[in-house]
Amino acid sequence: MVSPYIIHFIIFVAFPVTFSLVLIFHKWNIISPMEYIGFGNFIRLFNDEFFFKSVLNTLIFLFIHIPLQIIIALTIAEALNRKIKFKGFFRAAYFLPVVVSGVVVTMLWQQLYGYDSGLINRFLVNLGFSKVGWLVDPNVAMPSIAIMATWKNVGLYIILFLVGLQTVPPHYYEAAEIDGANYFQKFFKITLPSINPTIFMVVVLSTIGGFSLFIEPYIMTGGGPLNSTLSAVLYIYKQGFFYYHMGYAATLGFFFALLILSVVAIQRKFIEKEK
Amino acid sequence: MGINKLRISNCEFRIKSFKIRNLPAGKTGPKFEIRNSKSEIRNKEVLNLRKVILFSSVLFCTLSCSEKSSRDIDSVIYWSSNNTEEIEFARVAVNLWNKKNPGKLVSFQPVPEGQSSEEIILAAVVGKTTPDIYSNMWQGDVESYADAGALIALDTLNGFWDLINDRCDTSVIKEVTSGDGHIYQIPWKINPIMLLYNEKVIESIGFDNPPSTYDQIFEAGSRFSKDKDGDGYVDQWFGYSEVIVTWWQRLFDFYPLYIAASDGAPLVEKNKAVFNNKYALKVFKFLHNLYQKRYFAKERLSQRQDVFLSGVIATRFTGPWEIAHAEKFKPKELEYSFTHMPVPDDHEGPVYTYCDPKNIVIFKTCPYPDLAWQFVKFMINKENDLQFLRITNQLPRRKNLDDDSFFSDYFKKNPKMIPFAKQSDYVKGTDQALYLKEVFDLISQEYEASVIYGKKSPEEALSDAEKAVNLLYLQ
Repeated sequence: MVSPYIIHFIIFVAFPVTFSLVLIFHKWNIISPMEYIGFGNFIRLFNDEFFFKSVLNTLIFLFIHIPLQIIIALTIAEALNRKIKFKGFFRAAYFLPVVVSGVVVTMLWQQLYGYDSGLINRFLVNLGFSKVGWLVDPNVAMPSIAIMATWKNVGLYIILFLVGLQTVPPHYYEAAEIDGANYFQKFFKITLPSINPTIFMVVVLSTIGGFSLFIEPYIMTGGGPLNSTLSAVLYIYKQGFFYYHMGYAATLGFFFALLILSVVAIQRKFIEKEK
Repeated sequence: MGINKLRISNCEFRIKSFKIRNLPAGKTGPKFEIRNSKSEIRNKEVLNLRKVILFSSVLFCTLSCSEKSSRDIDSVIYWSSNNTEEIEFARVAVNLWNKKNPGKLVSFQPVPEGQSSEEIILAAVVGKTTPDIYSNMWQGDVESYADAGALIALDTLNGFWDLINDRCDTSVIKEVTSGDGHIYQIPWKINPIMLLYNEKVIESIGFDNPPSTYDQIFEAGSRFSKDKDGDGYVDQWFGYSEVIVTWWQRLFDFYPLYIAASDGAPLVEKNKAVFNNKYALKVFKFLHNLYQKRYFAKERLSQRQDVFLSGVIATRFTGPWEIAHAEKFKPKELEYSFTHMPVPDDHEGPVYTYCDPKNIVIFKTCPYPDLAWQFVKFMINKENDLQFLRITNQLPRRKNLDDDSFFSDYFKKNPKMIPFAKQSDYVKGTDQALYLKEVFDLISQEYEASVIYGKKSPEEALSDAEKAVNLLYLQ
C-alpha cells in the first residue's frame, strides 16, 4: 500500500530535489545541453546585488507583515472570543479573504491603490490629505503590499488564535480577578504565555508564507518601483522561467531554502527560550 | 447484535446475522458468510492499483506520442499564431496549398494556448514536439534557438537567396543573419511602432502638423497636460507609456525612440554593449523630462477605460493593431492618425522605428525540410502576403510595400494603414544577439531609475546598464 506514496515521492520530491542539486553545478538554459561550471553559480550569487536586494525586500516585508498580522489577528480573536452579537457572521467575514483567490485579491487592491484613480487616494484627497504613491513610491510600495497580504491572511490566524484562546482555562482568569488583576495584567500574564505555542505556530507559518511572497509583487508591481518589491521568490522565478538560467535559479533556490530553515530554527530557539 | 469471527489459517468466517426461518418474530439465527482473507483483499487492491498505474502510463505515453503518430505520410506540421485573424489566414493558405499539392500535405494548428507562445515553443523544443514550421517567432529569440541547434539554416535550402533577395533589401538580410553567418529565419511580418495622436487635440493646442521633434513634443505637452478637476494633481497628460519595468515594455518606448534617434543603431554588437552613446542619452533625457514635467503619466493607466479613446491622453506609441481597436470603440467625434516617432531637434533624414518583427522558422526535427521550405515559399508569395494583409491588417516584411501597385488597392481601402506602409521602408527589428531579453531587462532597470524616478542621471544610468550588459556576456 505504500507504493503510491513512493511513486509520488520519487516523481514529485526525490527527483526534483536531486535534479536541482545537480543543476546547482551546471549552466543550463533548457534548450542547450547542460554545461558543468563547478561553483560558478555560487560565485555569481555572491556578486549578485539584485538577489541580495530581493532578500532584503523579503525581510522588510516580513518585518512589517508578521507583527502587523499577529497584532491584528490577536486583537480581533480576543474580541471574537467574547460574548458579542453576530459572532458567527464576524468570524466568517474575517475568514472570507482567505478563501478568495490571491490573484483576485491582488487585482482588487491594485485598483484601491491606484495613484490618480484609486479609491484610497480619492478618499484621502477628499479629506484634504495628499495622495500617496501606494504602488509607485519605492518607499511605500512594499509596506502597501504587506498591508494587503495581512488583510488577505489575517482570517486564518484569527481562527488559530481563537482556538488557542479557548484552551486557556477560565479559572486562571477567575483567580487573577480575585487577586485584583486588571485586563492588561490578565492579558500579558495569563493569555499571552498560555497561547505561546499558537504564537509560535503563527510566526512560523507567517514567516514561511512571507518568504514565498510572489503573487502580489508579480501582479501589482512586477518587482518595481526601483526593485523595491522584488521578492526573492520573484527573482528566482525570473531567473528560472524568464531567462531560463535554470542552474542559477536552482542555486538561488537552494540558498534561499537554507535561509528560511535558518530563520525558522532561530525563531524556534528564541520562542522555546521564552517558554 | 454482534459480529462473530472465526479465523482459520488465512480465511476469515464471519457470522453476519442471526435470522432463522419460522422462528418467532424478532428472533434470528446464524447466517454464515465466507470472506476472502485480508491478504487476498490487499493483493487484489494492489493488482487494481497496478492496473490503474499501467493504464495511466500507457495513456500518458500514447498521448505524448500522439503528435508524431498523427503525422500523415509526406506531410509537414505548421503552427501559426493563435490570434483569430492569423488562424484564419493560416487556414486559407494551408487549404489552398493542400488543394494544389494533394501529395504534399500540410497540417496546421495554432500554437497551443499558454502564458505566452514563447513558453510553448520552448516547451516543444525541450519535449521534441516542435512543429516543422512556426510563423510567429520573435526575431530576438531566433539566435538562442539557432545557437542551441534547434533550427534549420534556411540559407542552405534551394532557392533561398532568390527568395530573400526578391523580398528584402540588404539591410534586412544583414539584420536577420546570425552570428555564425547563416540565416535561420524568413522575415515575415511587422508592426512598426509610431506615434498615435488625436487630430482634434493637436489642432486645438495650436499645431498644424503633429509634433515630431523633442522640443515640439515638450511644447505640445505643456499646452495639453493639466489638472482638470483642480485637486492639485495632473489628470490629463500628453502621452503615456506603461510604467512597468518588464523588459518588453522598452520595445514600445525606449527602443523605437533610440532607433529613431540613431537611424537604427544596434544595442549589442559582438557580445558587447554599444548603446551607451549620444542617441540613447538624448532619448533618456527626453523621456526623463516628459515624466518630470508630468507630460507623461507616471501611474499605471492600463487598468482604466482606454485612456486615448477617452481623451485622458493625446498621444501614444503604438502599432497598427490600434486601428481595429479604435474603430470598434472610439467615440464618433474622435479622429486620430499616426506619425513617425519623435526625434531629436537636430535629426535629419527619414525617421526609423522598431517594427516588432515576427518571422518564420523551420525546426530541425522536421523530417521533410524541402517540403516545409516549399510551403513557406508559397505562404509568403505576393498573393498570400496580400491575403495576409487583408485578413490580419499586419504588414508583410517586404520591400517597397507602399509603392507596389499590387498592394495599392488594399491601402486605398484602408488609408489608416498608409503611414505604416510608408514607415515600413524605415524600420529595424532586433539585433541578432543572445540574451536579448536580459539586455532589455538591464536597460529597463536603469531606465526606471533614471527616466521615471530620477534616482540616477541619464549618463550614470546608461553607463551602469552598459557595465551590466557587458558583465552578462562575460558570464
